[in-house]
Amino acid sequence: MLGFSKKTTAQPQNAEKQETLLTLTILTLAAILSFATRLFSVLRFESVIHEFDPYFNYRTTKYLAEQGFYSFHNWFDDRAWYPLGRIIGGTIYPGLMVTSAAFYHLCWLLNITIDIRNVCVFLAPLFSSFTTIITYLLTKEVKNSGAGLVAAAFVSIVPGYISRSVAGSYDNEGIAIFCMLLTYYTWIKAVKTGTILWGTLSALAYFYMVSSWGGYVFLINLIPLHVLTLMVTGRFGHRIYIAYSTLYCVGTILSMQISFVGFQPVQSSEHILALGVFGLCQIVAFVDYIRSKLSKSDFETLYQFLIYTVGLLTVTVGGVLTISGKISPWTGRFYSLLDPSYAKNHIPIIASVSEHQPTSWSSFYFDLQILVFLFPAGLYFCFKQLTDSNIFLILYGITSIYFAGVMVRLMLVLAPIMCILSGITISHLLTKFMKNMDTPKQSEHKKYKKTEANASFRSEISSIFVVVVTVLLISYTFHCTWVTSEAYSSPSIVLSARSHDGGRIIFDDFREAYYWLKMNTPEDARIMSWWDYGYQITAMANRTILVDNNTWNNTHISRVGQAMASTEEKAYEIMKELDVDYVLVIFGGLTGYSSDDINKFLWMVRIGGSTDRGAHIKEWDYYSPNGEFRVDKEGSQTLLNCLMYKMCYYRFGQVYTEGGKPPGYDRVRGAEIGNKDFELDVLEEAYTTEHWLVRIYKVKDLPNRGV
Amino acid sequence: MLKLNLFLLFLVGVNAGEQINSYLIYKNVDRSIDLTSQLVKITSTITLENAGKDPIKNFLVVDEPKSDGKVVYRGVKDSAKQDLNLLPVQVDGSDNKFHKVVLRQNLEPGRTATVVLEEIIAKGLAPYPSSISQKEKQLVRYFGNHYIYTPYTVAKQKTDVVLSSRSVENYTKLKPVTQSDNTITYGPYTDIKPYTEDQLVVHFENNAPFLTVTRLERVIEISHWGNVAIEEQIEIKHTGAKLKGPFSRYDYQRDTSSSHHSIKSYTTVLPATAHSIYYRDSNGNISTSSVKHRKDWIELELRPRFPLFGGWQSSYTLGYSVPSYQYLYRTPEGQNVLSMRFIDHVFDDMFVEEATTSIVLPVGVSDVQLIVPYQVEKLQDDITYKYLDNMGRKVLRMRKNDLVEQHIQDLEITYSWQPQLLLHEPLLISLALFILFVAVIIWVRLDFSLGVPEHSKKE
Repeated sequence: MLGFSKKTTAQPQNAEKQETLLTLTILTLAAILSFATRLFSVLRFESVIHEFDPYFNYRTTKYLAEQGFYSFHNWFDDRAWYPLGRIIGGTIYPGLMVTSAAFYHLCWLLNITIDIRNVCVFLAPLFSSFTTIITYLLTKEVKNSGAGLVAAAFVSIVPGYISRSVAGSYDNEGIAIFCMLLTYYTWIKAVKTGTILWGTLSALAYFYMVSSWGGYVFLINLIPLHVLTLMVTGRFGHRIYIAYSTLYCVGTILSMQISFVGFQPVQSSEHILALGVFGLCQIVAFVDYIRSKLSKSDFETLYQFLIYTVGLLTVTVGGVLTISGKISPWTGRFYSLLDPSYAKNHIPIIASVSEHQPTSWSSFYFDLQILVFLFPAGLYFCFKQLTDSNIFLILYGITSIYFAGVMVRLMLVLAPIMCILSGITISHLLTKFMKNMDTPKQSEHKKYKKTEANASFRSEISSIFVVVVTVLLISYTFHCTWVTSEAYSSPSIVLSARSHDGGRIIFDDFREAYYWLKMNTPEDARIMSWWDYGYQITAMANRTILVDNNTWNNTHISRVGQAMASTEEKAYEIMKELDVDYVLVIFGGLTGYSSDDINKFLWMVRIGGSTDRGAHIKEWDYYSPNGEFRVDKEGSQTLLNCLMYKMCYYRFGQVYTEGGKPPGYDRVRGAEIGNKDFELDVLEEAYTTEHWLVRIYKVKDLPNRGV
Repeated sequence: MLKLNLFLLFLVGVNAGEQINSYLIYKNVDRSIDLTSQLVKITSTITLENAGKDPIKNFLVVDEPKSDGKVVYRGVKDSAKQDLNLLPVQVDGSDNKFHKVVLRQNLEPGRTATVVLEEIIAKGLAPYPSSISQKEKQLVRYFGNHYIYTPYTVAKQKTDVVLSSRSVENYTKLKPVTQSDNTITYGPYTDIKPYTEDQLVVHFENNAPFLTVTRLERVIEISHWGNVAIEEQIEIKHTGAKLKGPFSRYDYQRDTSSSHHSIKSYTTVLPATAHSIYYRDSNGNISTSSVKHRKDWIELELRPRFPLFGGWQSSYTLGYSVPSYQYLYRTPEGQNVLSMRFIDHVFDDMFVEEATTSIVLPVGVSDVQLIVPYQVEKLQDDITYKYLDNMGRKVLRMRKNDLVEQHIQDLEITYSWQPQLLLHEPLLISLALFILFVAVIIWVRLDFSLGVPEHSKKE
């Protein structure tokens, strides 16, 4: 090869080739790394689906892969929300399932006989590899390819993203982040080129995003915000007009094809900004056109008239639509974004979810480490060189940091922009200082004696700086790996603990219980449990449940909460009303598993008491006179006699759990239980798992007459 | 070959209208009825005597018409412990089911010969009471016959009933009868007429695992790269006394006695060369199992996810691989022969209600022949696709009901196969990658855009 090319051109061509090779190598390594680092749980445990929501996604994916898209779309699920049922096709974002099913069928087409479970388990790591690549492209588009590589490396192992995309964590977010960044990339491209092609591509990417995650609302507000900012800063032009109009029109029509989204893009207030900015774009473009055609004074008269008319019209139409209910009011989840305390005060069911809690400061550092410090610097570099695309990054960064502060879960949205901006910082700084490191070498040869003190000093500082950055980056790597392995790689369906001799104990109680249900209860048995376990029960035990993690019906959940919080007789009435056959509770008192039902119990009380029929259930009745929640003798009598308490502690009073403690010592609450010797009247123990983590009770039939 | 065998069997079965030879008598019968497990194992040592004038070639064994349970296995050995063939026959003027045993040597007049008849009866022990609480012991009843049911006169007979425990609730007392420890001895009775029946009932405690494999699907996959993969999907059910009332984990954990009617774990024996063993169900790996390597086999202690009480069931998948050199060999004619067990051990004293065995042959086999150790139902052949198979693999499928440990026997499959086919899939991958690379090279090197390229403008 070299022989054929001329010597003069060989040099730059080779350098270019080397650069391509280097870029490709780094990018490939980053993509592989991002896949590999997410496999901790598979290696430690097995290829298994994690947590709660992923089980639902897995179940629906399996259905889709086996039954085809049409029966999936029309699927009425009678296994959940007894007796209401749920129309699955119309109440989910199908992007994730369709993606997996497509992969599955593609693999089978190529005669790679992969199991659908494995497709689901490894989908999130695969998509995080794609994310790595798309991050590179996005950053390269905004800054340069060096920054892109650093950002790609950052994003491949950032814990904030890993938390939702480890192997087995088969959730919407796993692919949604990729879709989001893809949309941003195509959007930036569209803004830069101003072509309809890129605008349409961006609309397609947006459609994929809408089909996969409810978080698309963030995106459809961010892009209009970008357009608005560009308008305000006087950067609005034909390019942006074309880009946004294409994206909005095509994107909105496409997004309305998702049956769960339906007419929301034109009705709900969450999408109003996009619509408004679209209208504004037309007006601004029109005004610009008129301005070019009319004289100045004529134009001003027309302008004032138009402003007033349009303003008046908007207010009237908006008001009428809001009153008539055509524009839906903002949903609770959205309010809690704006006002973190909103949910706590108004909707207990939203507040009870741990991932909806406000983020603590420590978790920012935990999830992002040095990125937290590099991020402001990145913002600064963006401000220093304002371009259309830089403004986008700034807006994205600032809005997402606010949202991440409101809700832990949205850390996910923040993580990529943190990586991009930090990538820009690192690459910018390193490029500067690396240059300085090289200069003294050249001077050494030529002017050895005349070396200025300043210059040598400069090179040393540069070296020190580079070393410091290197150390920081290495520490970032270690931190990320540690966090991934310690915090985010537990499947939570299988628990493991260290025994005294250092061996590993596995608590596989959940699957034990679910499998027992599957094997040894009637096919149509209805199981009552707190909603957290709904998805797992339907997926693993294949039994009908009353409430699940899709918390769409507050009153139904409330009814279950009331049953759990009532006395046995009252609860029996509710259970008979709901046709319950079995009741399942999670109890950690023997093993010390702290997220069990007793610790969640106050939420059941609150949610149970939040509706009319549960008005008699008052949170204060469940506290001791001193206002504490305790399960020992000091605890309130209401608590000690409610159904949940009895189910958790049935016959626990005789068990010795810890040396030196009385029997019935609860290891989570650290107290000896207050109500020990009682029998159950309306229930009987049907099964308790090996470590007592899951207890299942059978609801007795009504007694025969005259007995 | 199989078809031929079956056909021959069929011919024999129809043609023989046998007569009962009244000159043959059972001079002495020693019966041992083993009731220690869930199966009833009856071993009868029979001394045959020819009281007639002609040599006797064979004798008949008959199914008891009114017995509980089902005879799932019957085998006859002669005094040299060699198996004698059993053929189903019909006897004129009798509705009973007869089996003809052909002796190795003719029994000359006045001579005697000893044979050992082994019968295994499944579901012959009925739990009574049929449902018990967690703390109660499991009691079962056995209904049998005091006398051996036979078309011949029996001169002398003695029966030992071996039980699993000393605690016997009740048993029929046809004198002379003695009980010592866990054995009840009936007899000796003398001069019993043919077809004599007298009900024998034993009601006793039996805490042996009453575990039934309700369904077993065994898939054997041959790879000529040197591996045979075996996967068994097993559904088990506790068929003893049903659990009445609640299950208390507290009581269960406190009860440490070894004999309980619930089943905590059992042992499966695998071939010594087995590796890559997995034990899972539809929800993933079952983490409670341990592997012990013995000299000639591997012991796998399997614990179901939950202890099995009466009426409870579970299912799981057990898989492992064995190197093929022990099971697969080539005949001098160039044929490949695989000899594998039709079913394998699941647990001791097992009873399998229904077993389906599939054999996945390599890609591109021909001339498939199958030799089975006992009569099985041949199912429709199937085609399956494994990793990267663009041509399907032939699957032979067979089914048989009611199997016990005695049915762990080899079946043989002979087939022709070209070793070159081993390279089929690697070549396919190489070709696919090659095409991909070429496509990329063409894509990168050539300019496909419709516009005028910029460099040509400059020049």
